[in-house]
Amino acid sequence: MSAFSFPLVGEGRRDGGPSGLWGRFVNNHRLLHFLSSLTVISVGVAMLVGLSSEWGTPPADFAALMLHLVTVIAAVAVFVGVFNLLAVHLGRLARSERGWPYSLLALLAAAGVIALRILDRAEVWSGDLQGEQMSARAFEAVQVSLESALAGLLVFFLVYAAYRLMRRQVTVWSVLFTLAVLVALVGWIPLEETEVLADAREWLVRVPVSAGARGILIGVGLGTVAAGVRVLTGQDRSIRG
Amino acid sequence: MINDSGLIWAVVAITFAAMMAGRFLVRRFAVRLRPIRAYEALPVLAADAVESARRVHVSLGDSALGDASTVTALVSAEIAYRMSERLAISHQLPLLTLTSPMTLPLAQDTLRRAYLYRRTMGYYRSSAAAWYPAGLAFAAGAASLSADLDADSNILLGRFGANLALLGESALRHSQAVIAHSDLLEGQAVAFVQAREVLLGEELYAGPAYLNGTALERGSVLAQDVLRWLVILGIIAAALQTI
Repeated sequence: MSAFSFPLVGEGRRDGGPSGLWGRFVNNHRLLHFLSSLTVISVGVAMLVGLSSEWGTPPADFAALMLHLVTVIAAVAVFVGVFNLLAVHLGRLARSERGWPYSLLALLAAAGVIALRILDRAEVWSGDLQGEQMSARAFEAVQVSLESALAGLLVFFLVYAAYRLMRRQVTVWSVLFTLAVLVALVGWIPLEETEVLADAREWLVRVPVSAGARGILIGVGLGTVAAGVRVLTGQDRSIRG
Repeated sequence: MINDSGLIWAVVAITFAAMMAGRFLVRRFAVRLRPIRAYEALPVLAADAVESARRVHVSLGDSALGDASTVTALVSAEIAYRMSERLAISHQLPLLTLTSPMTLPLAQDTLRRAYLYRRTMGYYRSSAAAWYPAGLAFAAGAASLSADLDADSNILLGRFGANLALLGESALRHSQAVIAHSDLLEGQAVAFVQAREVLLGEELYAGPAYLNGTALERGSVLAQDVLRWLVILGIIAAALQTI
């Protein structure tokens, strides 16, 4: 068996997979591969036809229905995500893994916000707090301010990373990067003496940065198309059981 | 004049034809792909992690099934699978973090398939895939989890914004190797300065071809090259027309 071939029919049961009638079906990899590939190819092609059809035609309606289904599933998936978050941190707490106090804090915060939201819905607040959404307030006070503080630190992380890049290995590209960072940072200083650098910064952003950014985005687009066609032809392994 | 839907079908047809031609060439001739250092480093990092009985943190970031980054999420998950398959001989599960709850089942299934393939399902735990809310909360949560678990390396593939800087900074402070990519420009810039090895733009999508890829996956790299040259020729033709 080659390194990436799949086990033959029925072998999966020895892997600790499900047993019984369902197990026989699940462990029958070839049948599962065929069914999942068939589903992906047919739905993928139907979506492609639907999205490139006139609005109101049956293929377009089918595509709209599928997109609607995705939206509903996405909403349900948020619950799955929250349960996963709780399960991961409860597990860390139960096993007393390193950093478990942070997990405890995360669990308490989650429980607190859920309780606040329930109290908001029940409209229990009175006095000055009447009509207030305390869960939204807690979000603003903690989450938004913390995120803003961290965002403010990002520029220092990046400048320090540029310094570390130069220390690690001096190459043409790292020198070019550091020079660009210096020009961009100094170019922002509103002094007459640095006007030349301000012009240089503007040119940098308008010409090489813009060209490079387009190059990267076109590359990402081409990669997406190539990988997308691979998925459409049922050759992507993630869709197989 | 070709319309949008016509253009979509033309691009799909050309890509499919180029991919099949690439597959034929790969099967017939010894086609060597140009070396990408990040993909050379991945198996080494997996071997290091297994030998030192440490975990590997793989993050899919904000890439999500059901939105514009669906393909990015699928390819990142495929690379995570190829890594997990190497790591599945150890009881130290890789940690998979992400921000999209829609992608969570894909992440869990990626790990499950790898452990099923290696016949080590006893080691597998679905909680090895961890979801965090998007934004800096994700970066802070995933970075601290990776540090607490004493991960050997961080493989950050998919969609990241500037918050990648937090993940990278934490990894470097804890002497963890970083391999990074982002399909967003901000994340790509941060990846360039922080990562030991960086994947640029379309290099991510070639990942499956580089990690024990099938003939079709290697053929799709050739298809990417054909498309790239078509775009270059198109740009030159458009530029010549304006002169």
